[in-house]
Amino acid sequence: MSRWLVDGWQVIIGIETHVQIKSSQKLFSRAPTSLLNDAPNTRYNTFDAALPGTLPRLNRKCLDLALRAAFALGCSVNKRSSFDRKHYFYFDQPTGYQITQHYSPFAVNGQYTSPKIGLPIRIKQIQLEQDTAKSITNARTRTALIDLNRAGAGLLEIVTEPDFRTAGQAAEYVRSLQELLRAVGVSDGNMEAGSLRCDVNVSINRPGEPPGTRTEVKNINSLKFMVAAIEYEIQRQKTILETLGPKQKVPQETRGFNSETWKTFRLRSKEDAPDYRYMPDPNLGVLVLSEQHIEAVRREMPPLPDATRLRLIQTYSSSGVTERNIDVLMNLDAVRDIAYDGVVEDTVVGAVAYFELCSQGRDPKFVMDWIIQNFLGQLFALGKPFSTEYIPVAQMGDLLDLITTKQITRPSAKLLLKHMLISPSDIPVKQLAEKMDVLSSVDELSNSSSHDDPLRDVCIRAMDALPSEIAAIQAGNENVMNKVIGWIMRQTKGKVEVIRAKDILKQLLSR
Amino acid sequence: MLRRFASNAASSLRAKDASFNAFVSFEDSPDLFKPNEGLLNDFSVGIKDNICTSALPTTCGSAILQDFRSPFDATVVKLLKEAGARIAGKTNCDEFGMGSLNIHSIHGPVVNPFDVDSRRAAGGSSGGSAAAVAAGLCDAALGTDTGGSIRLPASYCGVVGLKPSYGLLSRHGVVSYADSLDTVGVLAQNVQKVEKVFGSINKRDFNDPTSVSERLREKARLIAMERIQRWDTESLEGLRIGVPQEYFPSELNSASSHILSAIRHLLARLRSLGASIVPVSLPSTKYALSAYYVIASAEGSSCLSRYDGIRYGLRVPPSPGSDLTSTSETYAHSRSRGFGSEVKKRILLGTYALGADAFDNYFLQAQRVRQMVRNDFDRVFSITNVLHTENSSEEDVAGPGVNGVDVLIHPSAIRTAPRLDDVLDTLRQRDTLQDYVQDVLTVPASLSGLPALSVPVQNRSKFPASSLPTSTDKGYQQEAEKDEVGDAGWPIGVSIVGQWGTDELVLRVGQVIERLSRG
Repeated sequence: MSRWLVDGWQVIIGIETHVQIKSSQKLFSRAPTSLLNDAPNTRYNTFDAALPGTLPRLNRKCLDLALRAAFALGCSVNKRSSFDRKHYFYFDQPTGYQITQHYSPFAVNGQYTSPKIGLPIRIKQIQLEQDTAKSITNARTRTALIDLNRAGAGLLEIVTEPDFRTAGQAAEYVRSLQELLRAVGVSDGNMEAGSLRCDVNVSINRPGEPPGTRTEVKNINSLKFMVAAIEYEIQRQKTILETLGPKQKVPQETRGFNSETWKTFRLRSKEDAPDYRYMPDPNLGVLVLSEQHIEAVRREMPPLPDATRLRLIQTYSSSGVTERNIDVLMNLDAVRDIAYDGVVEDTVVGAVAYFELCSQGRDPKFVMDWIIQNFLGQLFALGKPFSTEYIPVAQMGDLLDLITTKQITRPSAKLLLKHMLISPSDIPVKQLAEKMDVLSSVDELSNSSSHDDPLRDVCIRAMDALPSEIAAIQAGNENVMNKVIGWIMRQTKGKVEVIRAKDILKQLLSR
Repeated sequence: MLRRFASNAASSLRAKDASFNAFVSFEDSPDLFKPNEGLLNDFSVGIKDNICTSALPTTCGSAILQDFRSPFDATVVKLLKEAGARIAGKTNCDEFGMGSLNIHSIHGPVVNPFDVDSRRAAGGSSGGSAAAVAAGLCDAALGTDTGGSIRLPASYCGVVGLKPSYGLLSRHGVVSYADSLDTVGVLAQNVQKVEKVFGSINKRDFNDPTSVSERLREKARLIAMERIQRWDTESLEGLRIGVPQEYFPSELNSASSHILSAIRHLLARLRSLGASIVPVSLPSTKYALSAYYVIASAEGSSCLSRYDGIRYGLRVPPSPGSDLTSTSETYAHSRSRGFGSEVKKRILLGTYALGADAFDNYFLQAQRVRQMVRNDFDRVFSITNVLHTENSSEEDVAGPGVNGVDVLIHPSAIRTAPRLDDVLDTLRQRDTLQDYVQDVLTVPASLSGLPALSVPVQNRSKFPASSLPTSTDKGYQQEAEKDEVGDAGWPIGVSIVGQWGTDELVLRVGQVIERLSRG
């Protein structure tokens, strides 16, 4: 523990994360969930606008995605849970209450372990709840504009125990959580787009003493800000306790983070904490989950990132594939767009799946090198985003097979790959190679045993064409060899293998 | 041509209703007169003004919704139209269903049509629906019943009123007062008409999360039908009727002994037809009224928090210079003017009951009482509560009594319709306890979600003593005195309460009682 002390203070941090569920419809209404670019007040129905006579109806797809999150975080699922109304008057809350799970959340007692955080994080509970509308207040005109698009969208509130000791751990947890939720198709977890927001609780105490009074910093929408807010709070609380004497306590407060000054500021004190008058929602009653349903959702869960990473390492490291390689592919998958309602799309293949499909019957190391160095490298050079759609698995396989059967040289294959990335088509790779005239002819160029070797002829022509270079090589200047090879490549449109051309040249020169 | 006809129908209804104030708006759109092939063809139905209609405003008797028009029809309204019914108009009610006398309405009080000149209350909160039916302005009316709001006005106006089992009729489009108690029901001149309307709208609705599954409805209905087949209307042999002792409070003995004697007479007739009359006890009844008002007010404070003047309804802009630091300060302007005094009182009461300091002692305690009241019923009925056997994992659910009864019978109200002047006086004196006590006999069935039917029985106080089976009672002398102050002949209702889902059984017993009362 001592390695985490800050000037002799132990820091205790807990995190509440609000995650937008990626469902096509809202939590209790059939209105479509909205995207950031939807025009205001175009994505709501009578229920979301809290018209009289409208009643909630639970969207089972939200529930199933919530269950995936619970499994991913190792929670136990309550077979009976319930919804409660949290009452407060604010412009962004059309009904005057938010439906949440205050008394009996659907998932509790989880644990999340990640080697990157370094210590297990206990998950206290996960609750399903409604998102609010958006209100944009204008302080000058003292007016507020309300956009109901977000009102009633499904949210998960994921509450940890106060298990973090540093801001870095807290940030790593949120990063891992993002990856985890995306992998199981629950949420985009995009902080910039507002689909993931955090509240952090921070307190400090001397080791061996009971925890200090905690403050809560609300609504943090970037990891950078979260780290800054925690560090600011640690320093602020330290100053209070160190300068005002040992009997002083940090006031229990809810605070906000100002992203301009990078400081936290007081929103409200304990005294003016609102009484939310929680009441069980009489319409929704008890949420009963059957064992069969829970198991069905568990069976259909996409694999968790840690499990996938472990499996890939175990399967492919013997072939020479490195952990770094695997991380590159997994990071590509971690930022993919995820489908609505947890649908596992098989039309667009992810990076890991692409690698594994291409590796079937081929050398994984060879496949990995081509995907990372050439496929990714060329995409990067072309300034294109990653997608496996440019070159389908079968086409990539054919290309790789042309290389291994030496029907095409590596430089030619790179050229071909670039062409395929720039103008994707469903023309068979071999046909395309023929059209581009980059195919090595087995008859013409590959038969090294024969004295009629055409490559030998080309080399002899090279020696005739470049007498001064040949002389330089014979005088011992090996580097000039590349110039000769370059001439040969130009003459053959790159269809020859460099190593073999060198061999033949050396053979001819040594005569 | 059609429009003129329609408008004429509406204006003639308007003229007839002038002395009752039963309707608050009239349907005069001609397209509703198109021929329909349905069970309710040529049926005109009044709709309580807290049930949404797209063609007419839905005000809930409140200033805050005075100009509100719903973009959709409530499911029950849609089903009525599909069955061929004609919507006559919207009926008056206590604001958001909060009241027992229909005196808390922006549209003014409803006058009981039984004798307009004596200006008596119609009862509430579905007073407009009961009065419209009693005055013959429509064939039937939909009401809502949260704690007695159908049965009480039915009793006062002398019509039949059914509060079905909770979860049978859809609440989609019914403006919530207290979601766990609100029940849509039917009022009509006789049981047969009630049954016809009820049958047409008794359907599962996926827009209402509390709408009970087809399977459970069928399960309970089969039990009811099996029970009905045990006796025939001629002999009633095998029907077990429970008379709960707690439903005959002291108020009934002293002030309204004619109610008592009417019930006694009815029970004697039922016994003579072969029914067993069994005294039963529902000991938690005495706590029911307090629990009801805590739960209903708590849910009411929650359900009514959406009326903020922002998206629809009355908006009172904050006056210049007023405090705008919090949202609630802004809302307060609209809510203060938009809600009536009774609604405000219940919102305050409910807000208090849900507060962190009071929650355990009020709201949770009331929920415990509610469970006790439910257990009481489950213990006395011969029929199992299919809801509890399905949904409860607890072992301590009260099972049906070995010597259980099929239905319970008790007076619907502790009195006949009070004079409007008297109740408005007590209102001015801010003594609303009288108002609340009206519900004492009706709230237990609401807390338990049980079907309850109020059927008029003869007020025998206008008959000569010799015809009374209990003529030796001391009560008779008092009754004779009461006659002079004018209670004689005023409608009396008797309530038939059954186990959850046995609405058909309750209606069948109601039909027998109706026949007996009409002699």
